[in-house]
Amino acid sequence: MHSEHVTVIADRSHERDSAPQTTMRVTKRNGTTEPVDLNKIVRAVSRCCTGLRDVDAMRVATKTISGLYDGATTSELDRLSIQTAASLLTEEPQYGKLAARLLATYLDKEVHNQEIHSFTQSIATGHRLGLVNERLAHTVATNARKLNDTIDPARDRELEYFGLRTLHDRYLLKHPQTRLAIETPQQFFLRIACALTETIGDAIELYHLMSTLEYLPSSPTLFNAGTSHEQLSSCFLLDSPADHLESIYQRYTDVALLSKFSGGIGLAYHRVRSRGSLIESTNGHSNGIVPWLKTLDASVSAVNQGGKRKGAACVYLEPWHADVEAFLELRDNTGDEASRTHNLNLANWIPDLFMRRVEANGAWSLFDPKRVPHLPDLWGEAFDRAYEEAEAAGLAAKAIPARDLYARMMRTLAQTGNGWMTFKDASNRACNQTAVAGRTVHLSNLCTEIIEVTSADEAAVCNLGSINLGRHVAGDAFDFAKLARTVRTAIRQLDRVIDLNYYPIPATQRSNLAWRPVGLGVMGLQDVFFQLGWAFDAPEARALSARIAEEVYFHALTASVELAAEKGAHPAFAETRAARGELQFDAWGVAPADPARWDALRARIREVGLRNSLMIAIAPTATIASIAGCYECIEPQVSNLMKRETLSGDFIIINRYLVDALKRLGLWTEHTRTRLLRAEGSVQSLVELPEDLRARFRTAWEVPMRSLIDMAAERGAFIDQSQSLNLFVESPNIGALSSMYFYAWRRGLKTTYYLRSRPATRIAKTTAEIPAAAAVACSLENPESCEACQ
Amino acid sequence: MSGEVATAMFAGGSGPSASARPARLLDPGMCLTLRPMAYPRFFEMYRAAIKNTWTVEEVDFGTDLADLAKMTPAERHLVQRLVAFFATGDSIVANNLVLNLYRHVNAPEARMYLSRQLYEEALHVQFYLTLLDTYVPDHAERQRAFAAVENIPSIKQKADFCQRWIDSICGLERLDTAAQRRQFLLNLICFAACIEGLFFFGAFAYVYFLRSKGLLHGLAGGTNWVFRDESAHMAFAFEVVATIRAEEPELFDDGLERDVRAMLAEAIECEAQFAADLLAGGVAGLSIGDVRSYLAYCADQRLATLGMAKQYGAANPFGFLALQDVQEVTNFFERRVSAYQVGVEGEVTLDAAF
Repeated sequence: MHSEHVTVIADRSHERDSAPQTTMRVTKRNGTTEPVDLNKIVRAVSRCCTGLRDVDAMRVATKTISGLYDGATTSELDRLSIQTAASLLTEEPQYGKLAARLLATYLDKEVHNQEIHSFTQSIATGHRLGLVNERLAHTVATNARKLNDTIDPARDRELEYFGLRTLHDRYLLKHPQTRLAIETPQQFFLRIACALTETIGDAIELYHLMSTLEYLPSSPTLFNAGTSHEQLSSCFLLDSPADHLESIYQRYTDVALLSKFSGGIGLAYHRVRSRGSLIESTNGHSNGIVPWLKTLDASVSAVNQGGKRKGAACVYLEPWHADVEAFLELRDNTGDEASRTHNLNLANWIPDLFMRRVEANGAWSLFDPKRVPHLPDLWGEAFDRAYEEAEAAGLAAKAIPARDLYARMMRTLAQTGNGWMTFKDASNRACNQTAVAGRTVHLSNLCTEIIEVTSADEAAVCNLGSINLGRHVAGDAFDFAKLARTVRTAIRQLDRVIDLNYYPIPATQRSNLAWRPVGLGVMGLQDVFFQLGWAFDAPEARALSARIAEEVYFHALTASVELAAEKGAHPAFAETRAARGELQFDAWGVAPADPARWDALRARIREVGLRNSLMIAIAPTATIASIAGCYECIEPQVSNLMKRETLSGDFIIINRYLVDALKRLGLWTEHTRTRLLRAEGSVQSLVELPEDLRARFRTAWEVPMRSLIDMAAERGAFIDQSQSLNLFVESPNIGALSSMYFYAWRRGLKTTYYLRSRPATRIAKTTAEIPAAAAVACSLENPESCEACQ
Repeated sequence: MSGEVATAMFAGGSGPSASARPARLLDPGMCLTLRPMAYPRFFEMYRAAIKNTWTVEEVDFGTDLADLAKMTPAERHLVQRLVAFFATGDSIVANNLVLNLYRHVNAPEARMYLSRQLYEEALHVQFYLTLLDTYVPDHAERQRAFAAVENIPSIKQKADFCQRWIDSICGLERLDTAAQRRQFLLNLICFAACIEGLFFFGAFAYVYFLRSKGLLHGLAGGTNWVFRDESAHMAFAFEVVATIRAEEPELFDDGLERDVRAMLAEAIECEAQFAADLLAGGVAGLSIGDVRSYLAYCADQRLATLGMAKQYGAANPFGFLALQDVQEVTNFFERRVSAYQVGVEGEVTLDAAF
């Protein structure tokens, strides 16, 4: 049935024919040259092949030589052999493992060649170069033997090629001049662990969690822990500047300082007057917020995060602001460039009243904030009342049908993926920090998972970390006991960051010490389902997803109570809902699974307090999931075969669970691979696959969005901040989108994140061979691979 | 407006006229009749192209200069030559479109596509113009780069090849005879299979090689979009060929096939000498032998698309090209996301399926 008339990438016979070339020479480190020795390369590759049954060292070696030029350096040869192995991983995922091992060997050499042979030597070198701070250098020096013994080089084998490359290119400390790494991946993990803990015992425990990829702190923490600038927080939330020049310009400075040290920024603009508003001092008229945002756009792209990644910010605007229509066009790729901001992300901060007007197909009034300065600080019924009074008083700048504005929001989402729908009332209603009147959540953050109050002199901050759920499965069941242990260690680490942190602007320190919020999230939910053999939206998967959320919340609260008993509750505890015994699920009207245990915890919270006002936030985990080699946060896989585009280059990711399943069925063939490639990584056209497998290996484009929203809502009852929920619609239209986001609001979600869609035309496939002319005829056996029918 | 056209438009003229729907795609004339639509597939391709609108302003060149500085001299030479080729390549394609294709492909929906393609070629020229201006700050050097067609022999040889094919039918006013139509077909196939399908595919391979190493995101990002457009152009041209074949199968005789094979062979040689120049400094992972195999592999793909037997039996040695065949998932912290559509339709409803 499988006539192999199509091949992916390359056929083997050719490579064997074209290599080895005996005339080629390589240049050694000392400048001398020698002939390329195929056997030497084969031996070097073979040393890394232990346990990898399906890789062919000879093939990697010959293919490497075929890509070489005469006079290349040995270092180029090494790097080329790594890339060559990596390029074969779509054919056989074990080549990815091989590439990772070759890379690990290469990295060890890089570090050893600088006379760094132990953890303490690495830290001492970093300290001498001014990269590692005094505190860490001292801790490590005084516990040298114990720490050096902790390093387990075999843990390198936990890392996939992509993860290791990411670590090497962007996370390992580099010599300022030579740019060579001065630490191995294991030394890196132990450095972070030592920097984030108070005792050696805790450090070793955290090292084990990280090096086994069971838990990872967020990127800013991994970038900066133990260094001379310990800015460890991921997220900053700034309330809108006040409606005057000094305040507007002060914000640019705030944003620049926060960006410089790796923070992602959310900031609101709903207090700044709209276009046409009178400026008394000059008797002129304002140009509204767009020119300010244009300046912000330039400012954000000017500051890069220590060369590690680009600065990034998201602007929040409430939809009653009279500039909202221009705001929704900021990311369009046509029109006046003076009104376009290609680097800013945009989010709508939507009160329930707007959604009710959409539902009723009513009118919606737009206001100049100068005339309704109180609206940003109100939510719920108070907002509804104030808004309607302002309408009645004739203060509106203009009124439009609510559905027209809603349609524009949907269009922006479809065309740019931006203009995220986030809900002001749901966010405030269920926030632990809004118990006292006058405290308001004014916006979410860059990734829509942080929900914290802000004010003129309080900027919210959050430190994040994520548990790799994929590493919490034991046999055919989820390991809740292990999860509980991981949560405890993670919360203690996140809490520690609050005290260690370097605060680039004073308003952040003030708020962080009062509220001590942290954001513990998860990643690899899809891995759990693959391991347990469940479809993403299967009833048992949905139940487990909610149960995991409940357990994480329970153990996070428990750990925070424990910390409060040791170190005291956070200063603002008395002003929280938790102090009154109200927990997140109460706001959602959801009853937890085991009420007795929750009642006991509630009593304990009232008695001892909590060390942290907020604990759970599900971040997108884009980069740390790459390091951990798992699927991102709570998301279904985007494709069974895809690439990741990163600053380190592009990487192919193949679903290894699918490959295993296909191998068991004897279906992992060139023919299957080609069809998978042609189908953009979808298995739905692989008709020979049993139906349950096709359901299990659906992609995010194929899982119903309704189920993602339902799962988010079920999980949401145990998330005291929020979650970065991407939604996926292949070819969006206004009708489907408006229904989808309406449903998300209805289900009580606080926030949604990107709308992902796909391009209308695709790049021609260069690696999927077109069948030979003779084969272009309809084949009833394999209709899906036959182009004649398409 | 000519009297003839006016008659057809307003009087609904009977009998064959220059503006009425011709029996076959290559029948001479300037057909204006969109309904009933003879070739809806061309119109769909036009609409799909509109949805993929991008602009040069969206391309982020932020890190390219820093990357250039850390590349080896051999890699920098590769990039400079490549960009110099790109700077003129799209203009050549645009010229042929205007001078030859638009004139003879006689269906208004096809001409709509060609108009769109013409805009895209201009956009590509603008992109590479911006790129060269960014990469080559020295004005005198910049001028030399733009004059590549004249003074860089490896690029001149490719340009001459293209120009020869443009000239080959420039004098043809009408396609009346089978011989004239075969001449036209050769020109069309040359631009689709040799220029877009081989020269550009060759050039894109170098860009993706650099991209796979994390270098030159601006060049790679913009080229990704250019490649997306060029893939569509090639698909359109082959769709036109397929349409002509369905209408006039007798045009596709042994002589035509022989000419196509000879043309492809010459194009491979042209591109291979360009590769020898590009890679003169030695770039690990891009050997001239591998490039040659890749070109032969591409040529085989084009032959297969044309319904002709493959000739070279070569395999694609470039594993890194698989990277551009699969869906992108961009970490927005790191790259701008390019997978969005413009032209979204529909009305607000609250109970649609999703």
